[in-house]
Amino acid sequence: MNFSYLFCILVSLSWVNAATHTFNWTTGWTLANPDGVFERPVISCNGEFPWPDIRVQKGDRVLVYLTNGFNDTQTSMHFHGLFQNGNNQMDGVPLLTQCPIGPGQTFLYNFTVESNSGAYWYHSHTEAQYEDGMRGAFIIDDGENNENYPYEYDEEVVLSLSEWYHDNVATLLPQFLSIFNPTGAEPIPQNLIINDTRNLSWEVRPDTTYLLRIINLGGFVSQYFWIEDHEFDVVEVDGITVERNTTNMIYITSAQRYTVLLHTRNDTSRNYAIMQKFDDTMLDVIPDDLELNATSSLTYNTSAPLAEQSYVDSIDDFLDDFYLVPLSRDALLPEPDIRITLDVAMDNLVTGINYAFFNNITYVAPLVPALATVLSAGENATNPEIYGSNTHSFVLDEDDVVEIVLNNLDTGKHPFHLHGHVFQTIIRDRTYDDAIGEVPVPFNESDHAEYPQYPMLRDVLYVNPQSNFVIRFRADNPGVWFFHCHIEWHLAQGLAIVLVEDPLGIQANSSQELTASSQAVCNAINMPITGNAVGNSTDFFNLAGEPVQPNTIPTGFTAKGIVAMVFSCLAGVLGLITITIYGLMEQTHVEEDFIEDMMIDPATVLEEDDSSNSNTAEKSGAEPTVREY
Amino acid sequence: MSSAERVFNVGVFFVVFRECLEAVVVVSVLLSFLRQAIGSKDWALYKRLRLQVWIGVVAGFIICLGIGGGFIGAYYRYNNDIFGSAEDLWEGVFCMIATIMISMMGIPMLRMNKMQAKWRVKIARSLVEKPKSRRGYFNIGFLARRYVMFLLPFITVLREGLEAVVFVAGAGITTTGSRATAYPLPVFVGLVAGIFVGLLLYYGASRSSLQIFLIISTCILYLISAGLFSRGAWYFESYIFNKKSGGDASESGDGNGSYNIRKAVYHVNCCNPELDNGWDIFNALLGWQNTGYLSSMLCYNIYWLVLMIVLGLMMFEEKKGHLPFCEKLRLRELNPMYWIKNKKKNEITEEQKAELFRKLNNLEFDGEGNIKHDDENSSSNDKVVQSYENTAAKV
Repeated sequence: MNFSYLFCILVSLSWVNAATHTFNWTTGWTLANPDGVFERPVISCNGEFPWPDIRVQKGDRVLVYLTNGFNDTQTSMHFHGLFQNGNNQMDGVPLLTQCPIGPGQTFLYNFTVESNSGAYWYHSHTEAQYEDGMRGAFIIDDGENNENYPYEYDEEVVLSLSEWYHDNVATLLPQFLSIFNPTGAEPIPQNLIINDTRNLSWEVRPDTTYLLRIINLGGFVSQYFWIEDHEFDVVEVDGITVERNTTNMIYITSAQRYTVLLHTRNDTSRNYAIMQKFDDTMLDVIPDDLELNATSSLTYNTSAPLAEQSYVDSIDDFLDDFYLVPLSRDALLPEPDIRITLDVAMDNLVTGINYAFFNNITYVAPLVPALATVLSAGENATNPEIYGSNTHSFVLDEDDVVEIVLNNLDTGKHPFHLHGHVFQTIIRDRTYDDAIGEVPVPFNESDHAEYPQYPMLRDVLYVNPQSNFVIRFRADNPGVWFFHCHIEWHLAQGLAIVLVEDPLGIQANSSQELTASSQAVCNAINMPITGNAVGNSTDFFNLAGEPVQPNTIPTGFTAKGIVAMVFSCLAGVLGLITITIYGLMEQTHVEEDFIEDMMIDPATVLEEDDSSNSNTAEKSGAEPTVREY
Repeated sequence: MSSAERVFNVGVFFVVFRECLEAVVVVSVLLSFLRQAIGSKDWALYKRLRLQVWIGVVAGFIICLGIGGGFIGAYYRYNNDIFGSAEDLWEGVFCMIATIMISMMGIPMLRMNKMQAKWRVKIARSLVEKPKSRRGYFNIGFLARRYVMFLLPFITVLREGLEAVVFVAGAGITTTGSRATAYPLPVFVGLVAGIFVGLLLYYGASRSSLQIFLIISTCILYLISAGLFSRGAWYFESYIFNKKSGGDASESGDGNGSYNIRKAVYHVNCCNPELDNGWDIFNALLGWQNTGYLSSMLCYNIYWLVLMIVLGLMMFEEKKGHLPFCEKLRLRELNPMYWIKNKKKNEITEEQKAELFRKLNNLEFDGEGNIKHDDENSSSNDKVVQSYENTAAKV
């Protein structure tokens, strides 16, 4: 067959060129001080911090032996943006594509980088762990020394951006998911860092074209990024090369990547500021001592002073990525076979904690990795029920065109990430500002902006406050894929759905079978690798014992409220009756009352009752009886 | 705050009404005394003394109006600076204080004739007592006596007025989001109502209809007071929650997360007295909150329970002359202030009281309106006065 012949050639070709990169990584803790202000425990790689940046070539094989060196926490690793075609279990999402790696266990991430090239990154996908430093850049060259890259440049540089906390996730997360954080206010970072430091000095040569890979490794805030008196050309976003677009500022959310061409000046007399700025609209409070700007130096001349902070007139003139055009010029996908409409909202449940919801469901992980359920469920795998009601799973058929309509009812910005794919961005509506009385505007199918002819492709897209976006992709990558907010705090609040893409296709491909390493990791923590969401492999529709979200808060009075109200009303009425009885009581003994008021011993009064009464009446002089004092 | 609460603070009204009533009682007792004692003998003197009384009333009223206005104005000017983030804590404290004050002053309203009798004696004593020595004629005490018909109502009105100022400030502060504009109308209406009831007293309206009027207003007063007590507890809870949540909850309106669900007995996502029009009236009158905390609900019920017990004891004592099960003990003796202030000193006997009134009836004023002390007139009077002086000396 032509196809298998072609396949053989491809395999043999890649065999010829491809190298294998093996990494033995053990997690642990060490102290580090990236922002130069505060030394804190960070997650280390083989005792070192920061984690290494990886550079491989398209077609290379990557082997990451990840050993959990923590004492009491699980871990995992996700290679952000990689399609992992046929390798779903290498996607690194605990309880979806693998079992969490328990302490002392090693998981082998073994995959070939077939269809991605450009700027990617890797990070733990366990409980906001990467905010503690467990992340790094993952750069894929297209050909040897990136020779197939469609743009010319002289040198390549990675600039990783991030926010930085002085507290550990282990401290921040319980505070965040607490009854005493009822509005779900995200922890406020202490600083913005760049390449795991601050006040970086990047020494550049004049009149040189740099391929600058800007990656936001952060888990929360978006950043504005600009370089004083320099323009740059955006040529790639999220691993997708795009038609050259010149700008002087980009807006980069958590997990997004922008690759730009920066041509340096001829003049080496002075240095220029590389600016990062918080998107402070994402912060619930802005502490007085928080520096919203971070300044680094584009250093032409090391003997000249480092650059001073640069100001701009407006931060609203950043590049709108929606209008970028991929070099591939993929046409707009046709009308969808399946449309998933998701309403984003944040609310409290009966625990008092603030959760994040897609259509009133907050993601709760199953007891068995969803991929294991797919592989063991046979024909039942096409029924979303078996993946659990609170995992919010959707089953996609092979090669369906999938449209996700996302309506943001929340007043915040959210960067959403889809695993295993890049998607076409069809609609992204403007901000609807509740400060000026605007209400959330959902996508309106019959009244919307025109769809772009060649939509932009990427894997992280932000939605504006109270706004909406529409994305499309083809379900051509069998696997269990997460779609979630890439603000780690919001993921912890459950802002995620599961897309079970072509489950029968997964079962049909032998490369998708759980590897020995994968099974060993499951066994080590006694997690079943067959059965539905609760590990029931005899009756896939029996979900007894399934983890579910807490109850919603009852609106209005509950039984105990009614009891309290009845008792209070009763107490009030009885009290008023008592007052009335007291008020109506015959005051026949006013004189006695008065005597008592004056605190006269009743005995004296009784003794002299007759005489004193008559004396008073007649107003005649009587021998005064002076009491002993 | 709704428009109603912006111009009419219910708590303020009742406080003013009650204090005004007491002042009116004093003035009416004084006036009826003057009419009886002097009106029949010397009409011109009576008219002059009556003028003194009214001058005293007006002067006292104006002064405490000035002080009260200044006090409240200053409070609202510096409001934010005083409380800052601890506003809920302060509101809770003020609620509790207001509860205690209203509770203490409410019940005596139902014993109006007791109040009248008390004041009759107090006035009698101040009129009859004379300087202890010759030198006394040149001191302030003597001058005071010279204008006793001015000073008595002046001081009474001033005292009741200042009391009202303290109450009013307290009651006003306890109303969330209240402002200075919430004062003039209830103060005015309270004054009018107090004077109206005072007139009824003076012209001897039917006791039963007056009593019913007083019962109704006392009932409302205690509804407010129970609500304040409950609100006090509520504010404490709210303060604790806001403190732990970093003052974050207050921004979230009345929906989920605006309150501590673990301590809530009920919550409705509406009817928030601080945000929704109309419900603040329920808040002011009945202590309504759209979140019922366990503590606030308990406080409400306990308040009524304690009130019923106390009233029951008072009724028992009025009937039997002592508390149940303890024949020697009376309610007032349970009050520590009774012992601290040593009120026994001020006691007078029934005979002394009789003597007082007899002397009052014989009281004479000289042509300038000064009281003529007639201790030379009767030997029996001497003894009374001596006994007073003995008492005074021992004091």
